[in-house]
Amino acid sequence: MIDALAYTVVALAGAGVIWGIVTAIANKPPGKAQLLYAAGLEAATVVQSIIAAAKIIGGFRPVELATTIGYLIGIVILIPIAWLWANVERNRFSGIVLAVAALAVLAMTLRLLVLWTPAG
Amino acid sequence: MNGVPAQQTSSAGHRTNSGAGRVLVAVYGIFALAATARASVQLITRFEEAPFAYLLSAVAGLIYIVATITLARGTRASRRLALIAIIIELVGVVTVGTLSVVDPEAFPRATVWSVYGIGYGFVPLLLPILGLAWLWHTRPQAP
Repeated sequence: MIDALAYTVVALAGAGVIWGIVTAIANKPPGKAQLLYAAGLEAATVVQSIIAAAKIIGGFRPVELATTIGYLIGIVILIPIAWLWANVERNRFSGIVLAVAALAVLAMTLRLLVLWTPAG
Repeated sequence: MNGVPAQQTSSAGHRTNSGAGRVLVAVYGIFALAATARASVQLITRFEEAPFAYLLSAVAGLIYIVATITLARGTRASRRLALIAIIIELVGVVTVGTLSVVDPEAFPRATVWSVYGIGYGFVPLLLPILGLAWLWHTRPQAP
């Protein structure tokens, strides 16, 4: 984990949550820009997981290794599934679906920052 | 572009996987993933520490998976399974939540339902209530 990247993911995800809520309030399905933004958030998340995996392979041992690995894998599958689910039926609720996934990415990244403590 | 298409608001009631139901399925899906992954890690790495709590985590994960799939399918048959799963979920979160407050010794290790899901912003307590409300809202209407 790189703190700066993690906080960037948190900020991107937070903006994604707000964007999803805004389009829902406006009663619109997510537009092309919003879907591209979700893809960007996913890319940042994937980069974060790859860097963290590389550090673990390189010898870093967080206290809860199995949990950390679970988070690193779980966090990258949320946005793609939400994306597909949001696009099957496109309406205001699609934005909320994307917002829910972004909120989960946000929460999981904050949790990863806590988990990323070296084992004694 | 907006709202639910007309053919889905017929007298047969709404489908559970349409409209706001899609958000409910998304939240259930996240909890299915979270609870199952958490239980897997616990069962694989330290089952002997708290077998009961960890098996309970696995049951919770299974219930979330069933609820996610049945709500996402949205057929009449799947509604029935969803109802059963969500009732078990509500009983589970209330029972485990209460026990973990009254007798913390019984739950030395946290589960998704401990203290009514405090570790997940109490969403585990809210979710079955919303699920039941949604099943009621989308119940099939008599023709």
